[in-house]
Amino acid sequence: MATQAETFPQIWVPRSKFLEWVLTTNHKRIGILYLSSAMVFFVVGGLEALLIRIQLAQPNGTVLTAEQYNEVFTMHGTTMIFLVAMPLSIGFGNYIIPLLIGARDMAFPRLNALSFWLFIFGGLVMYSSFLFGGAPDAGWFAYAPLTEKAFNAGMRMDFWSLGIALLGISSTVGAINFIVTDLQLRARGMSLARTPIFVWANFVTSFIAVFALPALLAAVIMLFLDRNIGTHFFIPQAGGNALLWQNLFWFFGHPEVYILILPAMGIISEVVPVFSRKPLFGYMTVAFSTVAIGVISFTVWAHHMFATGLSDVTLYFYSADSFLIGVPTGVKIFSWLGTMWGGKVRFKTAMLMAIGFVSMFLIGGISGIHLAVVPIDWQVEDSYYVVSHMHYVLFGGAIFGLFAGAYYWFPKMTGKLLDETLGKVHFWLMLVGMNMIFGPMAVLGLMGMPRRIYTYPSGFGWDIWNLLATVGAFLTALSVLFFLINVFVTLRGPANAGNDPWDAFTLEWTVSSPPPEHNFDETPTVRSRRPFWDLKHPDLADWKHNR
Amino acid sequence: MNKTASYSRMPLRPGVQPPAGLRPGTSRVTLLIVLGSETVFFGTVISAYLYLRATQTNLAFTQQLGAQLALPVANTLLLIVSALTAALAGRSIRRGNVKALSGWLLVTLVLGLVFVAGQAFDYLRSGMHPADQAFGGVFFTLMSFHALHMLAGVVVMAIALVRARLGDFTARRHDAIDVGTGFWYYVVAVWVVLFAVLYLI
Repeated sequence: MATQAETFPQIWVPRSKFLEWVLTTNHKRIGILYLSSAMVFFVVGGLEALLIRIQLAQPNGTVLTAEQYNEVFTMHGTTMIFLVAMPLSIGFGNYIIPLLIGARDMAFPRLNALSFWLFIFGGLVMYSSFLFGGAPDAGWFAYAPLTEKAFNAGMRMDFWSLGIALLGISSTVGAINFIVTDLQLRARGMSLARTPIFVWANFVTSFIAVFALPALLAAVIMLFLDRNIGTHFFIPQAGGNALLWQNLFWFFGHPEVYILILPAMGIISEVVPVFSRKPLFGYMTVAFSTVAIGVISFTVWAHHMFATGLSDVTLYFYSADSFLIGVPTGVKIFSWLGTMWGGKVRFKTAMLMAIGFVSMFLIGGISGIHLAVVPIDWQVEDSYYVVSHMHYVLFGGAIFGLFAGAYYWFPKMTGKLLDETLGKVHFWLMLVGMNMIFGPMAVLGLMGMPRRIYTYPSGFGWDIWNLLATVGAFLTALSVLFFLINVFVTLRGPANAGNDPWDAFTLEWTVSSPPPEHNFDETPTVRSRRPFWDLKHPDLADWKHNR
Repeated sequence: MNKTASYSRMPLRPGVQPPAGLRPGTSRVTLLIVLGSETVFFGTVISAYLYLRATQTNLAFTQQLGAQLALPVANTLLLIVSALTAALAGRSIRRGNVKALSGWLLVTLVLGLVFVAGQAFDYLRSGMHPADQAFGGVFFTLMSFHALHMLAGVVVMAIALVRARLGDFTARRHDAIDVGTGFWYYVVAVWVVLFAVLYLI
């Protein structure tokens, strides 16, 4: 009888070149499909951001009409959240998690393919609206009753609700798959207390998705029914309630923020230890703070609604609760700093991106605490201060974290190391560029510039800050161009990475780069949090000295 | 036959073991997570209903529903009986009785269809329309989503029935039956809550 290792290639290698990508159920291929299609959407969403910044570069801008401006900022937000940040995290999860836990695939490979194709069709439905009378134009949180038929004729918001419904189902199904994978497929000996933090982050993120996305799904179905069969969920004149939309949307919307940031935090928690040559400082506190963030994230949604006339008690509660979420977040930041402290830090691009994440996310976190203070929120509500805050968190946080993951895992996926020089140019341009955009936006917010205005008169002192932000936007776009060139050039170059270019700690680096279709000839046995370290240094193995 | 192989139907060649670590109970864990997600969905629409109701002055619609309770009560009892027959289906296969399993699956499936037909009749009889104030919309949405779940349950039961006839299930291997009946209990339980919320309060 043939051994396992000999029979695997026959079982796992697919049929034809084209179909092997379209029909694939292999987690690595689906991961790459997710990552590459999300990068395409990233470029599209980035171009929309550039259009916004060109329009606002000078007072009385005339590049876009008011209507076009509404479409562009709505699609920018929707794209970056649902078609970029989420699928990029899911793509890394798909590719890395089975390798990281010593499994051969996800728990439900065909369901995994379903998630991917629902995501693609959700994105296509959303963007096809441009061909059918105009794109959605009510902002990414689509407040009622502006989205109702009476105020928004045509099919824009129908495309939006159908697209969101498909994307929501895609992410829910994917999250269920991740939870079962994380729970059921870990290698022998990988107890929860030995599971890599990226897996913890993915696990908690998936729980948040499973319990938050159905609220969004229900809300967009109600919106669709309102618009198409005449129900009155969000129409006050007929017994509905416009604030109901805000409650339902933010019940999903705030946990969504953590769906976007927790995977990036997980990536950082893998990258920082490897490039500091130390185990993660405070592993258990990082794991528990991830869970704590997941739980608290469901209880703070009304801080998006401070200006809607809530009672004092409600305001106090949501304000205090929002401060509370800063605690587990702060714990994580100290853990990363504690890991670097006294370590032998190697400033590779992946590590630079991780440090960029920690510092930029800190700025976003602190301005978030400002916004949780009710009087400050009333002052800067719906101003550029909010725009600055969320971009420091989502760009400075999530995107930097995802790029850290890209530089860290690219050699595993392709067998080729991304160029370090181009990578460092990318990092520094992006760091300077984003601060030139979102720093001035914070100032503009404090000066009273409202978000979502398509133009503004001169004479308010806003001109110079807007111009700075536009220049920063172009620098950031340039930095991403450097990344794309880097990927393109590296893919044409030789396979120079080897199996373990970073001298890393975890299981994905024990197999070849790129890994074989079935990942592991023999599934590994884990005895500590750093199984690959144990393998490379039997005398210094973690399980001999601590657990 | 080892414990792992008893529940996994992965098409493995001779000499190839199932993926290591795939633990027993995977299907049950998955069902629990799916039902948790469903609960948020129904919970969202039910909270929307309660939220709108709390801000409503005209509650004539709810009173109209409460006045004609005979049919919905009968339907509800029918559905609870179907949960019992689903449980009997599960018990039959645990005892290895495939014939009884098929019988109880069929009875459950038919009871489910009768329930959906009965509720559809009740809805049409009530003369309500989705566009009737806010309440008509919520009523319509909750009823139709529950009906869709019932029909999904019927499809699951039908597939289980076909597979039972093909001899797919044994006393030791019947995960699909556990999952199918688990989903059925859940949909019945959701109905009991919906009945209380829509007809009784």
